[in-house]
Amino acid sequence: MKKRIGHYLIILVIVIVANFFIPRLLPGSPIKTLIGEDTGQMTAEEKMGILDSYHLNDPITVQFGYYIKDLFSDDWGLSFSKRQPIKDLLKSAAGWTLLLSSVSMFFSIVIGCCLGAHSARKRKTKSDLNLILGTTFLSSIPPFWVAILLLAVFGAQLRWFPTYGAYSMWSDKQGLAYVLDVSYHLVLPVLALVLTSLLPYFTTTRYSVLKIINEDYIKMAKIRGVPDHTINVRYVMHNAIIPVFTMVMLDVGYLLSGSILIETVFSYPGLGVLMRDAVTARDYPLIQYTFLISSVLTIIALFLADLCYRKLDPSLEGADEK
Amino acid sequence: MRSKIIGSIGVTILVLLVLIAVFAESLAPYSPYEQVGTTFARPSAEHWLGTNDIGQDIFSELIYGTRNSLAVGLLSATIAMTIAVLVGVMSGWFGGKLDRILMKVTTVFLTIPFLPVVIILAAFSKGSVWSMSIILGVMSWPVVARILRSETIKIKGSNYIHMIQGMGASDFYVIRYHVFRELLPLIFYRGIIRVKSGILAESSMSFLGLGNPAAKSWGSIIYYAQSSNALLTGSWIWWIIPPGLCICLVSMALMMVAYSFEERNDARMEDKL
Repeated sequence: MKKRIGHYLIILVIVIVANFFIPRLLPGSPIKTLIGEDTGQMTAEEKMGILDSYHLNDPITVQFGYYIKDLFSDDWGLSFSKRQPIKDLLKSAAGWTLLLSSVSMFFSIVIGCCLGAHSARKRKTKSDLNLILGTTFLSSIPPFWVAILLLAVFGAQLRWFPTYGAYSMWSDKQGLAYVLDVSYHLVLPVLALVLTSLLPYFTTTRYSVLKIINEDYIKMAKIRGVPDHTINVRYVMHNAIIPVFTMVMLDVGYLLSGSILIETVFSYPGLGVLMRDAVTARDYPLIQYTFLISSVLTIIALFLADLCYRKLDPSLEGADEK
Repeated sequence: MRSKIIGSIGVTILVLLVLIAVFAESLAPYSPYEQVGTTFARPSAEHWLGTNDIGQDIFSELIYGTRNSLAVGLLSATIAMTIAVLVGVMSGWFGGKLDRILMKVTTVFLTIPFLPVVIILAAFSKGSVWSMSIILGVMSWPVVARILRSETIKIKGSNYIHMIQGMGASDFYVIRYHVFRELLPLIFYRGIIRVKSGILAESSMSFLGLGNPAAKSWGSIIYYAQSSNALLTGSWIWWIIPPGLCICLVSMALMMVAYSFEERNDARMEDKL
């Protein structure tokens, strides 16, 4: 276990260090990066002043010291494009992104697994083939495009769902009304994410159920007269779920990525939109902190998935020690 | 038989798209970089898919976009597969300390959050075809490397390899003529999947406005359509749907080729993780 924690800490350190070096290694003058393109009218002294205020004239080790100090301080500065403290911006954005990605992850796992198990039981029939083709087709559609189409049809044309944001602006809904309002805004983004991320869960479940169905102990259970329902749930699904969980682990990292794209379509106020806005405004400090937070969230999610995985499949505990 | 038909449909679509990319200049009715009509024109006989916010012909943009997508897809897949083969085969074949170090690096890359890293790299590097392909390639090899490693270990354990080695074949000879040859179907299959992911990732990047603003790409057409409110004006039907369909077409064709290839080589790929 200690080893695993160590592994994730190392990755965290790599991300923090990379966040410092990426902008410094890539070409382009820092002044242009910080101020924008209209650096032409500035005098040399003004330029030096700016460099000084960001400690960019110090040796790189000193700069790194400032960077780490800022990171662990309470104040991450103001975002110049949003005119708000970066920390506040990130706090609310991270909440929305976590909501969106966890809800859609839940639905894609449940739906993907059910379809996969169904497909495996109906192997080589028409409905199996249709499901395989359908999910493969869905996975080759770009997620953001699905989102735009959903938005255009169900939002802009039919007006069944809201087209913008995570909750109704300018309304003071409380309690249940607020929850309903938020869920109402979640429908289309979640739908887009679920549709395009079904395939891995579907194929993994289908394959692992197929493998287990042909095992001797399942045949034996059938001969012994164990009820079908018990076989399906206790014998098949219980074992089939482990490879699916491996898939979940691999996917946790990508899920946040997916939601970044979907958010920008629906102007969902999460990390994705924040990052997009920061990129368009060339607000580099904001880009860097958004990158940092989304990376840290991904690493935490991977770590949690890892923990659950060990609970689910105890045989791994030993494998780690070797 | 069935898989053969699906495969040949896929190959046909791909060949057509490559031809379109190569002969874009003579196929496109207009130059996609110049203003050739009024802004926001609806589809007409002169402009099949209308014009965009600065009066460029959308149909011509679409044709030129094929180049960018295919180039980034192929290049990024080549880069990713080269790294994956090197790391996977060396790790699996030589084992020991080298294996441990390489696998550590692989795990680190696997845990690094994909899209945020790609976004931050693209944001700082202004996204030409090359920089985009390098970023995507370098970020997407780890899964394949792991698969190839476990396959290499399996091949290494087989009897005939022991025999050849017993006859005095060098490591390099065995890898070059036997291990690599046995891995080839798997490498090809995974490579196709990577091309598809590369194309999807490139379109996502351009859709976020991170692509090269001068180059035409399907993703960036959608980006400009969205930022000029095509959804509200109803122009999304000819402005956003066609580029999206193109992306679907390429990735579907690639999946078809991969599917029929998998069937024919009877390689059950799912369990090789």
